[in-house]
Formats: sequence, structure tokens, C-alpha cells
Amino acid sequence: MNRQTARLRWSWRHALFLLGVLFLAAFPWISESRSMLILLTQVFILAVYAMSYDILLGYTGIVSFGHAMFFGIGAYTVGILLKRVDDTLTVILMAVVVAIVLAAAVSFIIGALSLRLKSHYYAMLSLAFAGLFLVVAEKWRSLTMGNDGFTFTIPELLRDREMFYYISLLFMLVMYGLLRRFIQSPMGKVLEAIRENEQRAESLGYKTLHYKIIASIVAGVAAALSGIMYALALRFVNTSVFAVETTLDALLMTIVGGVGTLFGGIVGAFLIEFAHHWLTNLAKVHWIFERWIIFFGIVYVLIVLFFPRGIVGTVQQWLAARSHKRRPSGGEKTGAAQELNRQPQLSHKPKL
Amino acid sequence: MELLINLSINGLATGLLLFLLASGLSLIFGLMDVLNFSHGALFAWGAYAGVWAYSVTGSFVAGIAAALIAGVVLGFLLERFIIQPVYGNHIRQILITLGMMLVLNELLKVVWGPDQKSAATPSYLSGSWLLGDVTLIKYRLFIIVVGLIVFVLLYYLLNHTRMGLIVRAGVINKEMVQALGINIHRVFMGVFILGSALAALAGALFAPYSGVIYAELGMEFAILAFIVVVIGGMGNIVGSLMAALLVGLTGAYLAYFVPELSLAANMLLMAVILLWKPSGLFGVKR
Repeated sequence: MNRQTARLRWSWRHALFLLGVLFLAAFPWISESRSMLILLTQVFILAVYAMSYDILLGYTGIVSFGHAMFFGIGAYTVGILLKRVDDTLTVILMAVVVAIVLAAAVSFIIGALSLRLKSHYYAMLSLAFAGLFLVVAEKWRSLTMGNDGFTFTIPELLRDREMFYYISLLFMLVMYGLLRRFIQSPMGKVLEAIRENEQRAESLGYKTLHYKIIASIVAGVAAALSGIMYALALRFVNTSVFAVETTLDALLMTIVGGVGTLFGGIVGAFLIEFAHHWLTNLAKVHWIFERWIIFFGIVYVLIVLFFPRGIVGTVQQWLAARSHKRRPSGGEKTGAAQELNRQPQLSHKPKL
Repeated sequence: MELLINLSINGLATGLLLFLLASGLSLIFGLMDVLNFSHGALFAWGAYAGVWAYSVTGSFVAGIAAALIAGVVLGFLLERFIIQPVYGNHIRQILITLGMMLVLNELLKVVWGPDQKSAATPSYLSGSWLLGDVTLIKYRLFIIVVGLIVFVLLYYLLNHTRMGLIVRAGVINKEMVQALGINIHRVFMGVFILGSALAALAGALFAPYSGVIYAELGMEFAILAFIVVVIGGMGNIVGSLMAALLVGLTGAYLAYFVPELSLAANMLLMAVILLWKPSGLFGVKR
């Protein structure tokens, strides 16, 4: 009986999800607003960035304060290659490969250095490394044009805003699917076990360091991909992609949306980007709105203090409580992320 | 030779400023297990408060006092209302102190405007002495002297007073300290406030040294202070001093000879230490 009600509820959520996707797909026909189209494109791209961060923070319990560096690696790779080599799709593919390799290498190095230590060290080391990347991007002027950044042309195919909108939407959906697949895999379950209790996971025979490094590589690569899309959307890249603010965007989106829910990254990206847009417009009314970061900062602190689950997590918890189907380990486990084709029996027994 | 002496003095001055910042960070971490990412913001607040009070009252001492007051008040508020509620949850602590860093930095811009501020050196500390053919800039020597005085005071406080005994015991085993009937939370608060005041003092001293201050300053120095703490070992004052001088001196020499490498070198040093001795050069393995 339980399974039946569960399936009913999941399909209801599934329908809602499909409805949302259909709405977004139809959006360019419904609305003429060009700025809204661009804003939504940004939201899709940043949602992937936020979800990549959630792999670290929400699923593995690793705090990174340098996530912007992967985003920036993607953005600069595609920008530099398109500018220096040629503006064709092949070059973009090349950039994807280069960015993936670079992001994987960097996250491997940082992870190998600091993930065997307490969580503080990864936070510190990633912050410091991101600072290093920022300095390099500022100082290596011959390649990056420093602070001013540079513009570049993109292949004909991607220049149409509507086309790019659909590509971004598809990008978000594909990445959502892939990342969800990743966290639902046995591998992802081990990551959650590490988040819950690292020592216990270790005593079950898992080499937690390896798993944590893999998680950081997956997150880094996904962030680099979103960085590529971001640069393509702007056709411009400057040092702001490496700035602390970009890392904070990831933190805000993930935490406001809901840590450990994956879907929360999408919700967070929507909210933060729209709020940002709206607050920047308000800056004309009063100068204090120019300091919009302060509002985000305060909201962020309040959420960490009072709603550590974020929006999606809180809603899930509420739904779970309402349907008397709460599992002992809390809301995250009944994630909107993992609904649907959940096999009746668990396929991932701990290999003892 | 003259160049080397000057660079060394620069390095020592920066190093001692870093020590002021890092010693608080390191003690707070060692004792409370809180990595305080808002520490850099306190540095920036100290700098702004100092410059502001100096320009209003015309007295540099008043500037220092204002910075210390700002540090104590902010430290108290942070500990009481931000850190305490999430006590024992590492991830939330790290997240929330970073959020406070952001809020405090932005507040600086709201209160004093987003532009850079210039900071004056008081007349009795500006200028330099000529020793042979070496020019000694007074203010840098002043920073070195103040830094060393603070170090001696801290060292005395930690090693020769009952309070220091409790703090050192807390760094090693806080449950045991608690079991002995000491209210460890009050000790936490005291150490946090002390660390915040030291960070603010460092900021106030830094302002005339660099001549300009801006809100992002805090973040830049916080990164260096983290490097110092990692190299020196958490919860260790002598280690913090040694590491701060090391980072300050390498920074000063490299900034002159190979400026591109100065941050990278310190990062590399940190990476090596993390690989080879994660508890820090002078840290005690726990």
C-alpha cells in the first residue's frame, strides 16, 4: 500500500516537473521580453553551477569556498580558445575537453592535499587556490586582458538568443539528469554515508578519501561546464568569474534552494537571479539597493541559522511529515531528486 | 645590504600584522574548533574604525581605541548571536561565518561608502631615521614594536596566568576542562573577543602602513592569515608568530624580486606543509 501511495505522490510531482519544463520550453512563444529570455538563460546555466556545488556541500558534506575557480576555468578556457583559435563548434568541443581535464586536475590536486584532513582545510585551501586563480587571471594580461576581460565571437549557430535559450534549458535538464544519476548510484550513496558519518563509512570498508576526491572532481567538472555555457551566453569573460562573489552565488543558491536536494540548486538559481535582477532595478529608487549583497548575506545567515534545509528541504520535510511517511534519517532521503523509478528493493547494499 | 634590511623590516612589519590576525584565528580554532571566516572582516572594521576616529578626534591613540572597541563589540555580537546557535555543527559554522564576512564587509561600504579611503600617519610616527646609509621608516618599526609587545603579553597571558592555563587546557581537551567545573562557554567567548580585538588592532595599525584602506582588504588578509595558521599549527601562539614572520618575509622579498610569485609562493609553502605535516610546523599532533 505504501508503495502505491508513494508512486501516486511521485507521479504527481513528476507531472508538476514536466509542466514546469513545458512552460519553460514554451516561454519564448509566450513572452516577447528579450531581457526575460536572457535572464532565464542565465538561470539555467547558474542552476547547473549551483547543483554542482550541491554535490560537494549537500551530498558529501565538503565545504568549498573556491568553487568559482572551476566556473572560471570553464569560462576562460572557452573564451581564450574561441578568441585565439577559431569561432567554430569544433573549438567549443575542444574547450569542453580542455576545461574538463583542467577542472579535474585542479580539483584532484586540492582534494588530495586537503580532503584527508578536517573539513576546514578544504574550505581554506579552496579559498586560497581560487584567490590564486584570480590573481593569475588579473596579472597574465597578455592572455586574459586582466580585469577588463575580453569579448569573443561565438559560432553562428549559438548566436540566436532563442536557440541559446533552448540549448541552455537542455543543458540544465541533461546535467540534472546526469548528476541525479550520479547521486543515486551506489557511489552517491557512499557519499551520503560519508556526509552522515565519515568514520562509520570508513569502518564499513570504504576508502572515504577516494570517494570524496571523486565527488570533488565531479563537482568541479560540472561547474566548469556551466562556466563554459556562461561565457558563451555573455560572449565575454573577465576576472569576475573567479571572484569570491561567484563562489558566494553558488553557496547562496544551494543553501537558499535546499542543501542535499539537487533540485534545490535550480530553485535557488531562480530565486537568487530574479531577486538580483529585481534589486538591481530598485537601485534607481534608493542607493542602498546597490548593495544588494547585504540583503543576500543577511538572508543567507538567517537561513543557515533557522532553516538549514533551505526551501526545497523544508517543503520536503513538511510533505513527508504530512504523509506520515517520514523516514528516520529525515527529509533529504525522500528527495524530489530521487523520486520516480525508484526500485522497490535497494540495489546498493554495503559491500561487506 | 640597505635594500635587504629595508625588505626585512617590511617583511617583519607585515609579518607581525599577520601575527595579530592569525593568533586570534588560531586560538579560536584551537579552542573552539571554529574556523572564523569573518576574521578578515574584523580586520577591515578595525582599519575603518581607526581611520574614522583618527580623522574625527585627531588623535591616533583614539583611533586605536576605537578599533579595539569595534573589535570587542563585534566579537561579542558574533560569538553570542551567530556562532553560539550553531555550536558543534562544523559545516554550518563555516558557512555562517563566511556569511557574516559578507555582511560585515558590505556594512562597511554602507557606513563609509564603497570607495577607498586614505589613511594618514600621525606626525610623531611619520618620517624615518637614518642609520648609517640605511633609512628606517619609523612607522614600520612602530608596528614591529607593538606586535612584539602584544606577542609577549599574549605569551605571558597564556603561559603564566590561570586564565591562560584554562585556555591551553581547553585547546588540548575541552571536555575535561568542562568536567573540572569550568564554564567553557565563557572561556570561548573571552577568547573570541580577544581574537576579534587583536584582528581589529591589526587593521588599525595596517591603515597608516598602507596609506589606503578598502573593504575587500579583510578578505585578502584573511587568506594570508589562514596560510599562517596552517603553517604555524592551530592553537599555537609561538607557531603563529614564526609562521607569520616567515610568510611576511617571503612575501616582502618575493614582492620585490619576483612579484608574480609572491602569493603563489606562500600557497606553495602551505601546500607542502599540508602534505608533509598537516598539524603545522609548530603544531602539536592531536
